[in-house]
Amino acid sequence: MILIGILVTLLGFVISIFSLALSSVGARLVVVLLGLAVSLYGIIGVLNKAYLKNAIWKKG
Amino acid sequence: MNMTTKRLLTFLLVALCLGPLGFAQGPAAAPAVAAAPATPAPKPITDADVANVPVPTADAHAKGDPDGSLTGNASDVTVSDSKKGLTIGDLVNQVGQNKVAINFVWTLVTGFLVMFMQAGFAIVEAGLCRAKNANHTMMMNFMVYGVGMLAYWLIGFAIQEGGVGAIANLGGTAPLSSEYAITLFGKSFGLFGQNGLFLVHKGTYDVGVMVLFLFQMVFMDTALTIVTGAAAERWKYAAFVAASFLMGAFTYPIFANWAWGGGWLSALGTNFSLGKGYCDFAGSGVVHAVGGITALATSMILGPRIGKYTREGKSNAILAHDIVIVLTGCFILAFGWFGFNPGSTLGASSNGNLRISSIAVNTMLAGMAGSFGAMLYMWLRYGKPDASMSGNGLLAGLVAITAPSGFVNPVGAVIIGLIAGVLVCISVEYIDRVLKVDDPVGAISVHGTNGLWGVLSVGLFADGKSNYGGAWNGVNGSVTGIFYGDNGGQLVAQLIGIVTLVGFVFTLSFVFNLLIDWIMGQRVSAKTELQGLDLPEMGALGYPEFELKSEI
Repeated sequence: MILIGILVTLLGFVISIFSLALSSVGARLVVVLLGLAVSLYGIIGVLNKAYLKNAIWKKG
Repeated sequence: MNMTTKRLLTFLLVALCLGPLGFAQGPAAAPAVAAAPATPAPKPITDADVANVPVPTADAHAKGDPDGSLTGNASDVTVSDSKKGLTIGDLVNQVGQNKVAINFVWTLVTGFLVMFMQAGFAIVEAGLCRAKNANHTMMMNFMVYGVGMLAYWLIGFAIQEGGVGAIANLGGTAPLSSEYAITLFGKSFGLFGQNGLFLVHKGTYDVGVMVLFLFQMVFMDTALTIVTGAAAERWKYAAFVAASFLMGAFTYPIFANWAWGGGWLSALGTNFSLGKGYCDFAGSGVVHAVGGITALATSMILGPRIGKYTREGKSNAILAHDIVIVLTGCFILAFGWFGFNPGSTLGASSNGNLRISSIAVNTMLAGMAGSFGAMLYMWLRYGKPDASMSGNGLLAGLVAITAPSGFVNPVGAVIIGLIAGVLVCISVEYIDRVLKVDDPVGAISVHGTNGLWGVLSVGLFADGKSNYGGAWNGVNGSVTGIFYGDNGGQLVAQLIGIVTLVGFVFTLSFVFNLLIDWIMGQRVSAKTELQGLDLPEMGALGYPEFELKSEI
């Protein structure tokens, strides 16, 4: 899961780079926001969840 | 005289007496316009005129100069040829050197202020932690200065600034001329600099380069010390040293190159017509978001402190041991920020650099607004004006204004700071209660969340009035946000910077820290953590005469 989280987080960055291939400001904005959402999902939705599964406070 | 006449005369008398007082602080009346005499054509100054400027005699100097009227005159101008005496060429050279000297002194002194912020960070973080970890927390803050500086001197500076090119304010820095770049979408993407290893490589033993190194080094160290707060009370000291070295050598310099060193983010304007490219005046993104995001990566890998969460996942408050030094540290940081933001002009004498006054005022206003925002939020939500969150609100306002400080007006600065003050409280609650990432000092929220907010705010609030030599990042005109008429291109450039921080910098920091975790382990043992890190990790208590309550 950690490797997947890293890849998803990095994917968001790659998506935002590809926004530069577009010409309209509006289209670029949408693609960059999509990239941001993907990166945030990688951090919060995948990586952090993976760490919370084995959190120290759950072991008691 | 009747009563009405008496009243009228009394009124006129009072008005005559008070009139000048009433206008004493108003603008002086404009002098009557006199007929302008015919001005003769200006006579060119010759070397002979310059050579014959009267200077005080040695006898006059020997008597002392109590009023300062003799000291500093034509005899102090450096003469290139003593046989010729003072020439116009000498004067012009002196003017040029004076300009660069003013900028050197400005940049160095503001750099010294930024260096002093390390002391502020140290006591804020130590105060917010428990007394049993005081030595360990202080020692991390102390040694991050040396570890970071070593890494930056060896390689980091070359990566960041090795291809920045000539910085006119500092008289050139011409040896920093080699940027490694790739071609993408038909445009050049600068990735890292190549000159400046050890500060001697490829002619970088240069006075201008030295000024730039000092100023950039203390910025880099600020980013590094953010992480020590979020990872406090459970971070193995050896792992801290390794992580800080990697961050000072690679993580920070790479992003700083992209934003400030001539890299691809700064070229988004020239290459892709996105405003003036990614604009981060003093480092909300480069310094604070890089620090805050690395702090998030490190804290996730470390996990929360023992006792921070119940078995059901409910957050427990772990109290600060010394709120007095926390707020003292906040003041030291606010003081240092007058170096951080105004110093980022890299000069006081050049086109547009007189905006240092506006930048300084924006900085203090945003800090004030941030502390108000946090204090009021906590007061309304929890019934008390929480001291540590008010301090964090001040810092959040300062972090947020760091990127836009050179581009916005005072009203924009107050709005940015106020939002930052509220945002830091909400972010601390979200990270603590929803993400369950333990951050003892709130560093992720103060520096990460508000660093990103500061970067974004440039694309919203930049008022188009700044003019630092007529262009920014190689694009003519002033930085302008959408609230002041931009078409959104600047906002997109800022958002690309934000995704780079969240997507790339986080990943790089995470991978570095994961490797360290696999190689040497990041976290101390449970026994060490419960005992307090001072004795097991550092060999001495921070407060040996205090009676500490052990949790064992």
